[in-house]
Amino acid sequence: MIGGDADDGDGGSAGGNADGRSTDGDTDSFEDRPLRERIAANPRPAAVWGAGFALLVAVQFGAIADVIVNAMPWGVALGALPSIPGTGILAAVGQWFADLPTLLSPELIPNEGYYVPGEGWHGTFLGLSPAIAWGIRVVLVYAYAFAALAWIWYAYVLFRRHYRYADWTPRDDVVDRLRTHRWGQFGIVIVLAFLVMAIFAPALATAPVAQNIEDPYSHTIEYYDHDAGEVVETTVGDANRNSQSRGQDARNVGPMSYDDYDRFHPLGTMPSGQDLFTFIVFGARVSLLIGLLSLTISGVAAAGFALFGAYYKGKLDLSFVVMSDSVQAMPRLLLLVLLSVILADTWIGGLYSGAVVLALIFGVTGWPALWRAIRGPALQVAEKEWIDAARSYDQAPTTTMRRHMLPYILGYLLIYASMTLGGIIVGVAGLSFLGLGVDSPTPEWGRAIDAGQDYVTTASWHISLLPGLFIVLVVTAFNALGDGIRDAIDPQSDVGGDSEEAAAGGTGA
Amino acid sequence: MSRLGYLARRLLLAIPVVLFGTSLTFLIIRMGPIDPAAAIVGSPDTPSAQAQYERTREQLGLTQPLWDQYVEFMTDLLLFDLGQSWVLSPGTNTYDLILTYAPRTLWLGFWSILIAVFVGIPLGFYAGLNPNTRADYLVSFGGIVWRAMPNFWLAIILLALFAQSQQYFFGFDWSGFVVDSEVTGAYQFSDITTSEGFVREFKRVLPAALVLGSASMGNEMRIGRTAVLETINSNYVETAKAKGLSTTKIVWKHVFRNALIPLVPVITSEAFLLIGGAVLVEVVFGINGLGYLFFQAVINGDLPLVASLMYVFILVLVGVNIIQDILYTIIDPRVGLEEGSA
Repeated sequence: MIGGDADDGDGGSAGGNADGRSTDGDTDSFEDRPLRERIAANPRPAAVWGAGFALLVAVQFGAIADVIVNAMPWGVALGALPSIPGTGILAAVGQWFADLPTLLSPELIPNEGYYVPGEGWHGTFLGLSPAIAWGIRVVLVYAYAFAALAWIWYAYVLFRRHYRYADWTPRDDVVDRLRTHRWGQFGIVIVLAFLVMAIFAPALATAPVAQNIEDPYSHTIEYYDHDAGEVVETTVGDANRNSQSRGQDARNVGPMSYDDYDRFHPLGTMPSGQDLFTFIVFGARVSLLIGLLSLTISGVAAAGFALFGAYYKGKLDLSFVVMSDSVQAMPRLLLLVLLSVILADTWIGGLYSGAVVLALIFGVTGWPALWRAIRGPALQVAEKEWIDAARSYDQAPTTTMRRHMLPYILGYLLIYASMTLGGIIVGVAGLSFLGLGVDSPTPEWGRAIDAGQDYVTTASWHISLLPGLFIVLVVTAFNALGDGIRDAIDPQSDVGGDSEEAAAGGTGA
Repeated sequence: MSRLGYLARRLLLAIPVVLFGTSLTFLIIRMGPIDPAAAIVGSPDTPSAQAQYERTREQLGLTQPLWDQYVEFMTDLLLFDLGQSWVLSPGTNTYDLILTYAPRTLWLGFWSILIAVFVGIPLGFYAGLNPNTRADYLVSFGGIVWRAMPNFWLAIILLALFAQSQQYFFGFDWSGFVVDSEVTGAYQFSDITTSEGFVREFKRVLPAALVLGSASMGNEMRIGRTAVLETINSNYVETAKAKGLSTTKIVWKHVFRNALIPLVPVITSEAFLLIGGAVLVEVVFGINGLGYLFFQAVINGDLPLVASLMYVFILVLVGVNIIQDILYTIIDPRVGLEEGSA
């Protein structure tokens, strides 16, 4: 059985009095009341949780508002509408919120500064060295993120303990099986670390991406010039040019070292002098965005095809088979190469340095693998008596699919989505490596590997090696997560064996 | 459904797949913003260039209605009239191009399948026979990590290691080992029949084949391990043990042979990864094979060549799928008995 059945709610004994959840002693009414009333009857745990959550949001409120106000493409979304009076004030208010100081920001814990002999560090957090200031910020970001995740998990625990009427649902078993699944846990931790990296990229980076990578000649930094004996201002572009890593020992800024401008580089610099760590954290953003967007596209398509094919069978299913076989008969990577070249010059190819069009391409070419993986379970569930029953009650086919079939295949979709995500990250990196993927200046891991290609055996080995190791780690983690989910939701799984998994995983990059 | 019926059905299904796949290729190429004629002649800014542009459009058949173009496109390809290259090497027949470039990819693909099969399957079987030992963990974990490595990255790292082997392998000189050979560059098959030429080309293909086979090797290890574990716990092995058969006989006759069944699709599906993934490996190692040819054709806008190559790839992959089904019907008597295994 699969966790999705939990929604039926008829498993497990109805609301227990044993742990005193039911305040008025009437279990039936406890079940029937909506969650809001159940919370109203026993508000204390929910209130404590809400207060904690509000605190967690409050310290980062500026950053959240900043994403909503500045990172969303409002100009694109609202540009078509006539100007509404009052938007100016709204924008100003939004900007004010966006500029609120946040706990985890380079402004509050700055790591960019300069060292004056005899005086120590200027401009850094508490006068500490940039390395330590940056380290503190990284530790705080991860501590905050994992605390927030733990708090959200605690919400589920509270719900289970105080507000859920069923003592047991199949989903509890799923959670319990994950509790002992070390390999899956490894995957979860690394995947979460990767997600945090992508979400908190501006706070983790050693320098703002606009300053260091996108537009270095429009930004300046101060440093202490030893020859002049005073603090001098220079453009970041000039500083980058003198901090390049190009193989020779004299022109190399390796991992965990400072350049001549007192900037700390945790993973060294790129051949262009840009900070590799900043490049990688913002590259994680692009990879994640492409991965999630394309998985949404292919996941929705795959689920739709699987449901309709399994429900109506016959010719419809056969036409899906032919369609997916045709897409799969073209070598995936070559198809991706072809599509990304052809679509590069269209208006959509320019969005977010080509990331959006990549997501589309991966989504359109990725659904057959996902669909193949969930077709078996979909056909299985279509054979069940409850589908026949629903049909005989004249339930609309789409309702049957949504209510009685979709929950069953959703778990399988999740497994293969997780395993595919790693393959998409590798595929995007491969295309960028060929110069077809995400364009400069938006960072992408494959381009870092490409840039360091000629320096692997030199002093600048870090440029290619480290981004590659990041990819290996993230891909392994997504595979482990997929394994974990599979073993958790369906320990006796015999549908969707390893071979389908292997097919779903790779693009051949 | 009988086994032959199953096979016949799969063969019949291959026809619409080829047709539909080729039509998709036409759609992608013609619907995109790239003008094949402009890619060949350049932008028509002078009157003479304009005239040549019009002529090229005429020659390519772009002046006809789209439907006629489509019919001509499909009939040409289906009758194996693959046309010629327009930009990459103007006037050369696609057949000649394929004949020049394909042997390098085949050589690479052959060894990457072979190495993966002969390393991956034995390791996976060994791990399956000794589950939950240290060797098993090592093999399983190694397989997972090996599989997760991006090919192009692994290619770069291996290329560096092999090219500078003296620096990393305690003075061991890979390039000068047995016979002199370069690490990168196209393969030369002129003296492949001599032992020296064979060893040289084998040495040269080895790093690239290791990379290209990496994902499949990892898959074979994993699936081989699971398959052995499953067979070893099955009832007929239990029976064989009760009959008093020797362990060797059980392992070779009853375990390995059955454990090979789930490996068939893995090995055949390698063809997909090899044709697709060869691009990156070929680019890194400087091998001008089919993937490299396709890549160059795409970025240079040689769309007629792109279409012909894609058609050939579709035929190859559909052919591999059919071979897989034939193999399946031969080795697995249960095929065709299950419902819904289209």
